[in-house]
Amino acid sequence: MLGKLIKYEIRATQRIFLPLYGLILAFALLNRLFRAAAPESAESLSLPINVSAFVNGLTMMVYVALIVALAVMTLIVTIRRFQRGLLGDEGYLMFTLPVEVHSHIDCKMIVTLIWTVLSLLVSALSIFILAVDESSMQRFSEGCLRFRDFFRQYGASSYLILLECIVLFVVLALMDTLQIYASIAVGSRSARHKLLAGFGAFIGFTVVMMTVSSWIFNSAVGYPSGWLRAQLGNLARGLAPEAAVELALGLLILYSALFGVAFYALTNWLLSRKLNLE
Amino acid sequence: MDSILECRGLTKRFPGCLALNAVNLSVAKGKIVGLLGPNGSGKTTLIKLINGLLTPDGGTITVSGRKPGVETKKIISYLPERTYLNDWMDVRTILDFFSDFYADFNRAKAYDMLQRLHIDPGSRLKTLSKGTKEKVQLILVMSREAQLYVLDEPIGGVDPAARDYILDTILSNYRENASLILSTHLIADVEKILDEVIFINRGSVVLTSSVDDIREHEGKSVDAMFREVFRC
Repeated sequence: MLGKLIKYEIRATQRIFLPLYGLILAFALLNRLFRAAAPESAESLSLPINVSAFVNGLTMMVYVALIVALAVMTLIVTIRRFQRGLLGDEGYLMFTLPVEVHSHIDCKMIVTLIWTVLSLLVSALSIFILAVDESSMQRFSEGCLRFRDFFRQYGASSYLILLECIVLFVVLALMDTLQIYASIAVGSRSARHKLLAGFGAFIGFTVVMMTVSSWIFNSAVGYPSGWLRAQLGNLARGLAPEAAVELALGLLILYSALFGVAFYALTNWLLSRKLNLE
Repeated sequence: MDSILECRGLTKRFPGCLALNAVNLSVAKGKIVGLLGPNGSGKTTLIKLINGLLTPDGGTITVSGRKPGVETKKIISYLPERTYLNDWMDVRTILDFFSDFYADFNRAKAYDMLQRLHIDPGSRLKTLSKGTKEKVQLILVMSREAQLYVLDEPIGGVDPAARDYILDTILSNYRENASLILSTHLIADVEKILDEVIFINRGSVVLTSSVDDIREHEGKSVDAMFREVFRC
């Protein structure tokens, strides 16, 4: 059933993202073509050079606006699909489907993650289209060589670190999405000011997370005699640098995942036990 | 008698209001039951509890012996009073959606009803009029071969001419041996199709009776009985 939910969620959201992706790639390409063709065409058409500069500037401006729009739309779609799709009138349809409540949360967060990753890939590809030339290709291949050296030097460790970085990215992205969901679910409990209450909940969660993080950071770093510092010191003693990085990344993943699980559990509890559609 | 719905001491509170107060209720299989009461009497709260859209604060509710959950949602076909259609699907896609999620959805029946009501399956849901949206929802709900149909104010928003058509659609499509709970305050219009009635007021059940009993023993129509019980 989760697969079916994901199928329809992708269909509901693709009409927003796919045209944006197309436009971003098209404007990156346009800008590139204008820049490549500008000096010659300006001469051959005996146009003043500032016309081509204007067109260049315009396509670049639209491109940047589209990238900003993509980031903003990702956030808006995350909020609206959860708020309207589950807690608005559509909730009457979704919550009477024969699926567990948590499947709705799973579906929404997986699809948000898919669009986040695709948006990053499309943005990277568009930058590549904009910037690629001989010197950047050379720098790119040099970078690849450095990566290869790194992998050779640290062997299995380097693969583990790469994997941990990917997992950390996924966990952080999911945690952020779940923080938004939990805030909306808390906000929906308010009879009148759902949006304001949701926003307040989001800030509240952020304050709690920052307080816990600063407490941990202070215990680990600030006070030389801190218990956590001693524990971490014991853990790290005698570790090779790459093993210390592995450990640090592992702890970060665990730390973010704990918050993610807390947001997930709160959202699931509110939606299954405290649901009250208008 | 085998019952499809059982409520025992069912209680639901909202801030500053007791929406359902220790309701005891049993609905037999194969009956058409009218859930009748004035506005704000607790009809929709009871219906939301049946569908698992609310959680009781006290007492129990079971549908075919189970607490509301995935298994009961498979056998209940629910028409809410709200329009739940989204703005991105067309009629064909929402039919696909229902047939993907409900094993008992009869697609041929749905297309047949669409045709009879002159609704184009290619129409975007967003562009449909309110009345057509209500018809599409009714088609979706009545095209399921469910064990329990729960219809919340199915005729509330339509003109009197359309009411008979909707009631006919409900009657001709609901499965034999299935049960049907229909909430409304337009009693005269539904009276002729009901087997039993539940009168509900201020969160309490004030009367459960068969329609025949009301007619035979009280010598009244359900509408007259309702006006007597709920006299302001």
